[in-house]
Amino acid sequence: MSRAADRMLGLILMAVAAAYAVSAARLEVPFAYDPLGPKAFPFGLSALLAVLAVVLLVRPAPGGRWPTGMLLLKVVATLAVLALYGMLFSVLGYVLASALAVLALAWLFDAGIGKACMAAIGMSLGSYVLFTYGMDISLPVGTLFGGH
Amino acid sequence: MFDFLIHGFGVALTPLNLMLAFTGALLGTLFGALPGIGPINGIAILMPLAYSLGLPAESALILLAGIYTGAEYGGRISSILLNVPGDAGAVMTALDGNPLARKGLAGPALGLSAVSSFIGATISIIGLTLFAPLLASFAVNFGPAEYFALMIFAFSSLSVMMGKDPIKTLIGAVLGVMLATVGVDAGTGVMRFTGGLPELYDGIDFVVLVIGMFAISEILLMLEHLGSDSGRLAPIGRVLVKVKEVLFCKGAILRSSLFGFIIGVLPGTGASVASAVSYTTEKRISDREGTFGEGDMRGLAAPEAANNASAVGSFVPMLTLGIPGSGTTAILLGALMLYNIDPGPMLFSEQPRVVGGLIASLYIGNIMLLLLNLPLAGLFARVLTMPRWLLVPGIALLSFVGVYQLHSDLMAIFLMLAVGIMGYVLRKFGFSLAPIVLGFVLGGLMEQNLRRALAMSGGDYGVLFGSGLAIGLWCAALTVIVIPMVFSGWRRLKASAAR
Repeated sequence: MSRAADRMLGLILMAVAAAYAVSAARLEVPFAYDPLGPKAFPFGLSALLAVLAVVLLVRPAPGGRWPTGMLLLKVVATLAVLALYGMLFSVLGYVLASALAVLALAWLFDAGIGKACMAAIGMSLGSYVLFTYGMDISLPVGTLFGGH
Repeated sequence: MFDFLIHGFGVALTPLNLMLAFTGALLGTLFGALPGIGPINGIAILMPLAYSLGLPAESALILLAGIYTGAEYGGRISSILLNVPGDAGAVMTALDGNPLARKGLAGPALGLSAVSSFIGATISIIGLTLFAPLLASFAVNFGPAEYFALMIFAFSSLSVMMGKDPIKTLIGAVLGVMLATVGVDAGTGVMRFTGGLPELYDGIDFVVLVIGMFAISEILLMLEHLGSDSGRLAPIGRVLVKVKEVLFCKGAILRSSLFGFIIGVLPGTGASVASAVSYTTEKRISDREGTFGEGDMRGLAAPEAANNASAVGSFVPMLTLGIPGSGTTAILLGALMLYNIDPGPMLFSEQPRVVGGLIASLYIGNIMLLLLNLPLAGLFARVLTMPRWLLVPGIALLSFVGVYQLHSDLMAIFLMLAVGIMGYVLRKFGFSLAPIVLGFVLGGLMEQNLRRALAMSGGDYGVLFGSGLAIGLWCAALTVIVIPMVFSGWRRLKASAAR
C-alpha cells in the first residue's frame, strides 16, 4: 500500500499539536503556585508531538487497508446504531432499546432476520434478568413508560 | 518481610474474595477464548461492571486480576484448535500448538499448555512475592524528580519494545498524555482543553476512554472479518497430558518462565515479547531434529509458560512503582484510581490490603485455573465458534450498561463513541492502543511530579538530575533507546561488509 496515509497522518498530527499549543497559550492563569504553571507541560507535549509528526512525514511506513464501499457503509451504519442505542437507552428503557440494538447489530453482522429476532428477544430479556437480579444493577425503565 | 503475604491470604481467603477469584478465572477464560477478544478487551469491557458492583478496592482488583490471568489461559484455546491467535501474546502458541491438534493430539496439547501456563505463572508469582517488597522498599526513596525520570524511562522502554513501529508507539503515548491533561488543572484550578463542555471539567473519564478504545473500536474492526469466520474445530478428546511429556519439556518450561518473568517486569514489554523471545530461544537450544513448527511439545510449552509468567511479572512494576508493565496492567491501575488510590512508589506500603490480597489471590486463582482448565477445556472450546452476530451485540450491551452505570448522561455515550472512532482510525494507521492507555494513566502523575519537583527547587531544572537515582534512571532511559539503534547500525555495517 502507499505511504500517503502516513504522510497525511503526519500533517493531521502537526495540526493537532498546533491547536493544542494555541489552546494552551490562551489559558488565563490568575495565579500559579508552582514555577511551571499549567501551560509549560502542554507546550512540551505539543513540541514533542510536532517533532514526531515531522519524523512521520520524512519516514512514512506503508499503510494498512482502508474500508471502502460496502464495508465503509457498514462501519457508518454500526456507529449510527450505537449512537441511536445511546439516545434511546433512557427513553425506551433498557429492554426495548437493547432489543432494537441487538436486532440491528445482529443483522449488520450477517445474521438472518429470524436469527436476529431470536437474538434480540433472548439477549435483551436474558441480560436484563442477569443485570437486575444477578448483579443488582438498576437499569432505566424508560421515560416513555413513566420511568425517570 | 513477608507479613504482607500472610495479611494478603487473610484478605484473599474470605468467602467473597474466593468467589470473586473463581468468577474472574471462569469469566477470564471464557472471554479469552472468544474470537477476537484478548485479555485487554476482556478487562476493558468488564471493568466498569466490576466497579459498579460496589466492591471494596481489593475485591474488585482480585476479580479483575482473575479475569486477566484467566484470559491468558483462554487465549491459547483458539491458537491451538483453530490456528487463530486471540492476541499478539498467543501468536507463538499457534506455531506448534496447531500442528499438534492437526495430528490428533488436541487434548494433550491443551493439557500441556495448561500445565506449562500453571508452572510459568507459579514461578512468576513466587518471583513477585520475593522481588516486590525489595523493589518497594527501594522505591520509598523516590521523590518527585526520581518518579518523573522513572516515567521517562518507562515511556522510552515502551517505545522500543512495544509494537513494530517505535515512532507510532511514542505518538500514541504522547496522545494519551495529552488526553490526560483535559479538565481542571489540580495546581491552579484552570480549565484546560475542555472546549467549554462542562462534562469534561473533571477530565475524560477513564471508563469511557477504555470502553471506547477497546470495545467500540473492536466492534468496528470485526466488521472486516465477516465471512472469514472460523473453520472446523479439531476433535479434542480427553484433555490429559502425561507426566513423561511434561518432563520432556521441563527445560523449556523453566527457562521460559524465567524469561517471561524478567520481560514482564520491564515496563512496556508484555506477553508478546516474552513468548517470542522464549520460543526462538528454545528453538535455538533444543531444535536438533527440526521438529519445531511441526508440532513439537517443547515449542508449545515454551511460549505458554512465558506469556503467563510475563502477565504476572507485569504486576511487579505496577504494584511497587505504580508504573504499569503492560496495557492490561495500565487498565488495572486506572481501575484502582477510580477508588481514589494513587498509584506510585508508596502503593505497597500504604495499601497493604490491596497489594497483599492481590498477590495472595494470584496463588489461589492460578490453582483454580489449572483445575478449571484441565477438565473443562472442551467446554471452553465451544465458545470459539460463537458467531459474530451474537458476540457483537453482547459486547455492545455490556459496554453501554457499564458506561451508563457511572454516567447516565448522553454526553458520556457520545464521548465513548468518539473515542471508539479515534481508536479505530488509529488502529487502521497501524497504532497499538496500549501506549495510549499507558500515557493516559501516567500523564497526570507525570505532570504533577514534574511540577512538584520544580516547585521544591524553585524552578531550577537541575533538580531533575539532582540525585544518583535520578541520573541512573535518565541513563537507563537513554540506554534503552540507543542500544537498539547501535545494534541495527552494527548489523547494517556487517551486512555491507559481507557484501
